[in-house]
Amino acid sequence: MCNTPEFPILEKQNWLIHLHYIRKDYEACKAVIKEQLQETQGLCEYAIYVQALIFRLEGNIQESLELFQTCAILSPQCADNLKQVARSLFLLGKHKAAIEVYNEAAKLNQKDWEICHNLGVCYIYLKQFNKAQDQLHNALHLNRHDLTYIMLGKIHLLEGNLDKAIEIYKKAVEFSPENTELLTTLGLLYLQLGIYQKAFEHLGNALTYDPTNYKAILAAGSMMQTHGDFDVALTKYRVVASAVPESPPLWNNIGMCFFGKKKYVAAISCLKRANYLAPFDWKILYNLGLVHLTMQQYASAFHFLSAAINFQPKMGELYMLLAVALTNLEDTENAKRAYAEAVRLDKCNPLVNLNYAVLLYNQGEKRGALAQYQEMEKKVNLLKDSSSLEFDSEMVEMAQKLGAALQVGEALVWTKPVKDPKSKHRSTSASKAANFPQPLGSNQALGQAMSSAAAYRKPPSGAGGTSQLTKPPSLPLEPEPTVEAHPTEASAQIREK
Amino acid sequence: MAAASPSDSDGSRAEREASSKWLDAHYDPVANIHTFSACLALADLHGDGEYKLVVGDLGPGGRQPHLKVLKGPTVLTESPLPALPAAAVTFLMEQHEPRTPALALASGPCVYVYKNLRPYFKFTLPQLPPNSLEQDLWNQAKQDQIDHLTLKEMLEGIREKAEVPLSVQSLRFLQLELSEMEAFVNQHKSKSIKRQTVITTMTTLKKNLADEDAMSCLVLGTENKELLVLDPEAFTILAKMSLPGVPVFLEVSGQFDVEFRLAAACRNGNIYILRRDSRRPKYCIELSAQPVGLVRVHKVLVVGSTEDSLHGFTHKGKRLWTVPMPAAILTMNLLEQRSRGLQAVMAGLANGEVRIYHDKALLNVIRAPDAVTSLCFGRYGREDNTLVMTTRGGGLMIKILKRTAVFVEGGGEVGPPPAQATKLNVPRKTRLYVDQTLREREAGTAMHRTFQTDLYLLRLRAARAYVQALESSLSPVSATAREPLKLHAVVQGLGPTFKLTLHLQNTSTARPILGLLVCFLYNEVLYALPRAFFKVPLLVPGLDYPLETFVESLSDKGISDIIKVLVLREGQSAPLLSAHINMPVSEGLAAA
Repeated sequence: MCNTPEFPILEKQNWLIHLHYIRKDYEACKAVIKEQLQETQGLCEYAIYVQALIFRLEGNIQESLELFQTCAILSPQCADNLKQVARSLFLLGKHKAAIEVYNEAAKLNQKDWEICHNLGVCYIYLKQFNKAQDQLHNALHLNRHDLTYIMLGKIHLLEGNLDKAIEIYKKAVEFSPENTELLTTLGLLYLQLGIYQKAFEHLGNALTYDPTNYKAILAAGSMMQTHGDFDVALTKYRVVASAVPESPPLWNNIGMCFFGKKKYVAAISCLKRANYLAPFDWKILYNLGLVHLTMQQYASAFHFLSAAINFQPKMGELYMLLAVALTNLEDTENAKRAYAEAVRLDKCNPLVNLNYAVLLYNQGEKRGALAQYQEMEKKVNLLKDSSSLEFDSEMVEMAQKLGAALQVGEALVWTKPVKDPKSKHRSTSASKAANFPQPLGSNQALGQAMSSAAAYRKPPSGAGGTSQLTKPPSLPLEPEPTVEAHPTEASAQIREK
Repeated sequence: MAAASPSDSDGSRAEREASSKWLDAHYDPVANIHTFSACLALADLHGDGEYKLVVGDLGPGGRQPHLKVLKGPTVLTESPLPALPAAAVTFLMEQHEPRTPALALASGPCVYVYKNLRPYFKFTLPQLPPNSLEQDLWNQAKQDQIDHLTLKEMLEGIREKAEVPLSVQSLRFLQLELSEMEAFVNQHKSKSIKRQTVITTMTTLKKNLADEDAMSCLVLGTENKELLVLDPEAFTILAKMSLPGVPVFLEVSGQFDVEFRLAAACRNGNIYILRRDSRRPKYCIELSAQPVGLVRVHKVLVVGSTEDSLHGFTHKGKRLWTVPMPAAILTMNLLEQRSRGLQAVMAGLANGEVRIYHDKALLNVIRAPDAVTSLCFGRYGREDNTLVMTTRGGGLMIKILKRTAVFVEGGGEVGPPPAQATKLNVPRKTRLYVDQTLREREAGTAMHRTFQTDLYLLRLRAARAYVQALESSLSPVSATAREPLKLHAVVQGLGPTFKLTLHLQNTSTARPILGLLVCFLYNEVLYALPRAFFKVPLLVPGLDYPLETFVESLSDKGISDIIKVLVLREGQSAPLLSAHINMPVSEGLAAA
C-alpha cells in the first residue's frame, strides 16, 4: 500500500481569498477560507491571516489577535504577521505590548514606514511625544504618507505648539495638495491664529476638492458670518444640514446667521435645536441667552445664562450678560454681584466695566461708577496698544455720555475711539478681516473652532446690544459738546500718563 | 389626465434612452456566470471575424469551474475545468496564417492553452527547490537513521530560521501526535519532498512587435512572489523576476525583446514597477490600502483602492491625482474606443454603478440593476465597442456604445452639490410660542420673581424633608456607621391574608450585626399580625435575610392602611431605619 495521497498545495486558493477580501465580500471570503482550512488541516497561513483581518473588521479583536499569533507561529520570519499582532494589541489598548511586538517586527524589516508610523502612534497614546516624533520622522524619511503628517501635526497640537503644527501641515499639503483633511486642518489652524487670508484660502481649496466637506464648510461659513455674509453662509450650511443634520455646531451657526439677519424667532428655533442636540455646550447656551436678551425675554435669558455659567464658570462676559438680564428683571442686588464677578474674571473687555459703571451710576453710586469707568479706560488703552481693534460705535457713544455725566470728560481717552466710528465708515472693506480678531483668536481646540468661531463672534455686537438696552435709564445724561472739541488735549494727556 | 401619466413616464424613459450613450443589447439576470474581470476575454477564436466572449467561470459558490465561450447572447461551448481559473487571456502564439489567437487559462499551478477551442498544451510551473537540510533529514528518516522526535525537532528548527519554507509533508508531520508519527513516516518517507506554487495572475506582453496582431508572451505572477515570462512558441521561461509581495494584478506595456514596463499590484498593498533589465522592482508605490484594480491609461497607472478611491500615478510612482468614489470598488478595466482614440477607466462599484473616468474627469455613469463584478470592453460579435458586464448574482449584461456617442468631460456631476439647493429645515414656532414671548416681555419681572420664590420654596421643602428623614431614620438605608443596613419589603397575596416579606441586608464589609429587633406599627382595627415584635437573627455581611410574616386584614370595607416597619437596636428607643408599607386593598374579602 505505497499508494499515498498527494498533499494539496497549501496556497491553492489564496488568490481567490484575497480577491474576495479586497472586494469586501466577506461572506464569500469566509466560505473559501473555511474550505481551504479544512483541506489543509489549518496549515494555510494566508487563510488564517485573512480570517483574522475579517474578525478584526467585525470588531472581534481578541479572536483576531489569537489568529495572528497562530500565523506568527506558522511563519516566524514574517514581519507582516508580527505587525498585525501588534496592530490588534494596539486596538485592544495594550500600547506597551504593541510597541514590543513592533520592535520585534522592526528587527525583521528595517525599512518599513508602517512599523515606524505605528510605533509613533503608540508612543502618542503613551504620551511619550519625543519618542513618537522620532518614530514619525523616521517613517517620513522612509516613505511619505499623509497619515504620518497628520499624526505628527497632532503631536504638536497636543503639546500646544501651533506654529510647529502649521509647519508640518504645510509640508503635508505640499506633498499631497488634494488631501481635504490636511487642507481643512491647516485652514482651521490659521483661523485659530487669526490669519484669515490663508485660512480662507486653504478652506476654499478643501471645498473645491470636496464640496461636501463638513468641517471645511462649517469653518468657512463661520468666517463668512464674521464678515456678515449671512446669506452665503446659510447656503453653504444647507449642504452640511443634509449630510450631518444632527450637528450641534451647525445649528448653532445657522441660528447665529439668523440672528445676524435679525430673524430672531428662527434664530431661537435653531439654537434651541442645537441646545437639544448638545445640552451641555455652554456656547450654545450663551448664544441663546444673548438672543433672548435681544428679544427682551429677560426671564428666559436668565435661565440660559445661568445654565451656561454652570458649565463655564470662568468667563466674565457670561456674568456680565447675566447681570444685564438681572438689571432688567429689577434685581439690582444680584446684578451688582454678577457684575462684580464679571469684573473679577474679565481682563480685557471694557464693556464689562462700562455696563457696570452705567448700573452704578443709575443707582446713584457715583464713586463706584467712576472707579469702573477708569478701569474701562485702562482696558481701552491696553487694547489700543496691542491691536487695531475697533470699538463698537454704540459703546463709544455710551461711554462718552457716561464720562460726561461723571464729569471726567474733559480729561479723557475717548479721542481715539471718537475717531474710530469714522474710520470704521471710511474703511469698511479694508479692515474687514481685522474686525474681530480677538474673539476669534481665543479659540482653543480645533474641534471647537467651528462652533466657537460663530459662538464667539457675537459678543462684541451682542454686548453692544446690551449697552443699548441699558440706554433708556441713562437718557437724562446730557452729552457735553466739549468732548469732541478736545481731541488733541486728551491725547496729550495720555502721553503724559 | 390619469392616462397621461404612464405615457409620460414612457416618454421620459425613451428620452433617457435617447440621451444615453449605450444601447442595451442583452440582459440575462440568471445567466449563471460568476467570474472576475481577469477571467473575461474577447477574441476571434475561430478566425471568422466573429468575436467570442471567453469566460473562466467559477460557478455558483466557486464549486463548478467551467470554461464557457459565448457567441452573442448564447453559450457556444461549455467544458468543465479541473480547478478554479485565476485568469484567462487570448494571445497569438505563432506567426503562421491564419492568425487565430490561442486561449490561455491559468488555474492552480498550470496554464492550459487551447487552440480552436481544443486543448493544445499544458504548462506546469516548475517545482520549487526544496530546503536541502529538510531533504537530508527525510533521507535519513528513509534509512531509519533518525528517530521521529529528533526529526520533529530538527524540522522545527528549520521552520524557525530558514529562508526556504518547509514542504507540506514536513508541515503536516509537525502537526502530528507522537503516536501517529510512525505511520506517517513509513507512508511518506519514500517520496521525495515537493514544493509547488500556484499562479495568481496572468497577462500578455508583446514579444517583439507593437502591432495589434503580433505574437505575445504570457506573463505569470505566482504565489511565491515571482513573475515569469513565457515564450509563446516553446513555453520556456524567458525571464524570471522576483517581487517583495505576492502579485495580484499585472499591467504591462512595451515589447519583451525591446523594452517593457511591468507594474504589479501586490498583496502587501504596494505596487512595484519593473523594467526589462531589472531583476528587482525599480519603483515602489505604497498605498495605504489594498489595491482592487490596476489599469494603465496611456502613461498613467490608475489604481483603485479599498479606501473607495481611484488614484493616478506616473510610471515612476508619483501620485498625480485622487478621486473619491461613492461606494466600494469591485472591479476595474480599460475602455478603449479606437475610432476616437479614447482610453478611459471603468470601475464597477458596490452600489451598482459603473463609472467611466478619463483621468480625473467622470465621463459617464451606467446604473446596473445589481453590483457589477466583472467588466470587459472591446469587439464582440461584429460590433466594435461592446461592454460586457457580469453581476454579483450571476447575471450577464451586454451594452453597445452608440456610434454617435462622444464622451465629454464633465458628463457626470458638475457645479455645487445638489444638497445646496434644498431648503433648510428650520423648526417652526407656533402662535402660542409667540404669544408667550409677548407675555414674557410684558411680565418678565413678575415671572422671574415667581419662579425664584417657588424655586426657593422647593429647595426649602426638599431640605426640610431630607432633615426630617435623617432625624427620624425614615429612610430604608441606615445612616449610622456602626449598623449599615438595607431594608426593603414585599407584600404578596390578594387578601384577606397577605404575606409580608422583609429583606434585610447587612451592607458592611466584614462585621456581622447582632441584637436587632423588628417592630411593626399598624392600626389594630384594620390589621392583625401574629407577632408585631420579634428578634432578628445574626446578620452575616452581604447576605439577604428574608423575614416573613402574615398580615390579616380585618376590615371588610375595602380600606387599606400603612404598616410601619421599624428596625431597632436592643436597648435603644430611636429606630435605626424604618419603612412604610402601603398595604393593598384586600380583594379576597370583596369577592367573598
